[in-house]
Amino acid sequence: MSTPDTNLSADTPAAVAPHVSAATRQSVLRTMIVLVRRELWEHRALWITPLIIGGLLVLTAFPIHFGNVSFGAHAQEFANNRLGLFTLILWGQTLPQYLVMVIVLSFYLMDCLYQERKDRSILFWKSLPVSDADTVISKLLVALVVVPLGVYLTAMVCGVLFQTIWAVRTAVGSLPNIVVAWDTVAWLKVQGLMLYGLLVSMLWYAPMAAFLLLVSAWARRNVFLWASLPPVIAIIIERAAFGTRYVQHLLEYRSWSGIWNALLTEPITPESGHGRVVSLAELFDNTSMSRAFLNIDLWLGLAVAAALVFAAIRIRRYRDDT
Amino acid sequence: MTAVIEARGLKKSYGSTTAVDGVSFAIQPGRIVGLIGPNGAGKTTLFKAILGLTQFDGDLRILGRDPRSERNELMQDVCFIADVAVLPRWLRVSQALDFVEGVHPRFDRSRATDFLRKTDIKLASRVRELSKGMVTQLHLALILAIDARLLVLDEPTLGLDLLFRRQFYDTLLNDYFDKQRTIVLTTHQVEEIENLLTDVIFIHRGHVVLDSAVDALPDRYVQLTVTAEHAAQARQLNPFYEREVFGRVVMFFEGRTAAQLSTVTNGLGEMRTPSIADLFVAKMQGVA
Repeated sequence: MSTPDTNLSADTPAAVAPHVSAATRQSVLRTMIVLVRRELWEHRALWITPLIIGGLLVLTAFPIHFGNVSFGAHAQEFANNRLGLFTLILWGQTLPQYLVMVIVLSFYLMDCLYQERKDRSILFWKSLPVSDADTVISKLLVALVVVPLGVYLTAMVCGVLFQTIWAVRTAVGSLPNIVVAWDTVAWLKVQGLMLYGLLVSMLWYAPMAAFLLLVSAWARRNVFLWASLPPVIAIIIERAAFGTRYVQHLLEYRSWSGIWNALLTEPITPESGHGRVVSLAELFDNTSMSRAFLNIDLWLGLAVAAALVFAAIRIRRYRDDT
Repeated sequence: MTAVIEARGLKKSYGSTTAVDGVSFAIQPGRIVGLIGPNGAGKTTLFKAILGLTQFDGDLRILGRDPRSERNELMQDVCFIADVAVLPRWLRVSQALDFVEGVHPRFDRSRATDFLRKTDIKLASRVRELSKGMVTQLHLALILAIDARLLVLDEPTLGLDLLFRRQFYDTLLNDYFDKQRTIVLTTHQVEEIENLLTDVIFIHRGHVVLDSAVDALPDRYVQLTVTAEHAAQARQLNPFYEREVFGRVVMFFEGRTAAQLSTVTNGLGEMRTPSIADLFVAKMQGVA
């Protein structure tokens, strides 16, 4: 057995060193989690809105009533389309969530670096050992990862609740058997397809999110006008001066048409189903997941996003007007 | 001992106005320094430079680091209250504790809650529900629970009533200050912090006009109060500032002790060391 003295000399460095480093060094992950929580405290709409919309969508499972409709000659056709309808209902449950999310996130991004300057709380945040890079990145993380994933999970749970209610209603006879067709494999494929779509969307729309973040960090007031007017003015000036529409096409491409091009092998039209409702599960089977990541515009957009975020960080770091 | 703050030729201009004009000074550890100056003297600019919130010319070292390029590292050891009104209104008291605990490795949550327990502040309250005095108490509870080496306070008691102000400084002195820590603060209520300070720095129009330990002031400044008929005689001794109070004239002398002055005044009037507030007025009027 060692004496207390030797014990002390042997144990002290090992016992003290990790304690000191743990006390003085802060893990990046922990800081990020705290910063993300902070965003959800301040901007409660980020999580309240999806919950409200999800709840409302689940409630629509009750009033929909088919009564004693006779499908007659169409019954067979209807039955053929059960899978397509099932996946369409899942999609219909999710779509409103994402549309509202885009609006909520746009306002969040415009507000998040502006509000702290307006209420001067930036001086409090900057009195703590959190770098400007960590702060700005946490806000981007909220908009591009945390909230989209939260909305995805909310929509998934709400979709299951909706289907459960319909299953119960069918069992008690308030809905005709024909409209319900739970299919676990199809459900998983739809969830997979939507997660993939979400992932590509986060990357595709990163430059637009970063642009809003930059305006939020930069504008003295009227963030909304500074975010929305310059593109419109650029389009008008280009048309007046050169008679061309490159800016307009670029914006259209980035905001809508480009992402479909990145996601899908061929454009989906009603005809491609040959008179049938195309099942999203089929779409999953036909989607080449690597396609979007081979799209050069996706990576160019990310490079632009990185530059815009860097600019936003610099502005928050060196701005001096509080 | 290395200085906590060391400025050499620190200069900052906004357009054509020079806010701080080539200022040099050093602040040693374990001091409570009052940075005192009239509105627009450059105090806030100096603070912003110290806290890495603004760019400047010249050399400035805080705990041996450059606040322009090493701000992130510096904020581990430096704390500041810029203004009482900067806590965000949506923040809950419990959230404030969670946040600071989450990002600051030197934050001692139990210290902050002990302090809050002595107040009427409830953990579930939002900042917008608190009175101005309570917001300051909360801010103070957060900051004083951080084991920082340098605490910078810019008008921390602005807009508070006397009771809150007194309590604020008592807490600062009794619960926080020790020889390892340094506090730099500004306030317009100079009289209230006179007994608190170990050092004073007066700044006026971007220049340091006085930089001294409070203990050393009696060696440099004397205040002589004489009756009106002795005023002309006393004026021969070259005061740098004088003012009339109730028919008597108060004169301020620089560069001599009371003992030195008494050899030439021969009981002309009463002598004493001026208060910091009086000295401040004298210095500001004297250089104007």
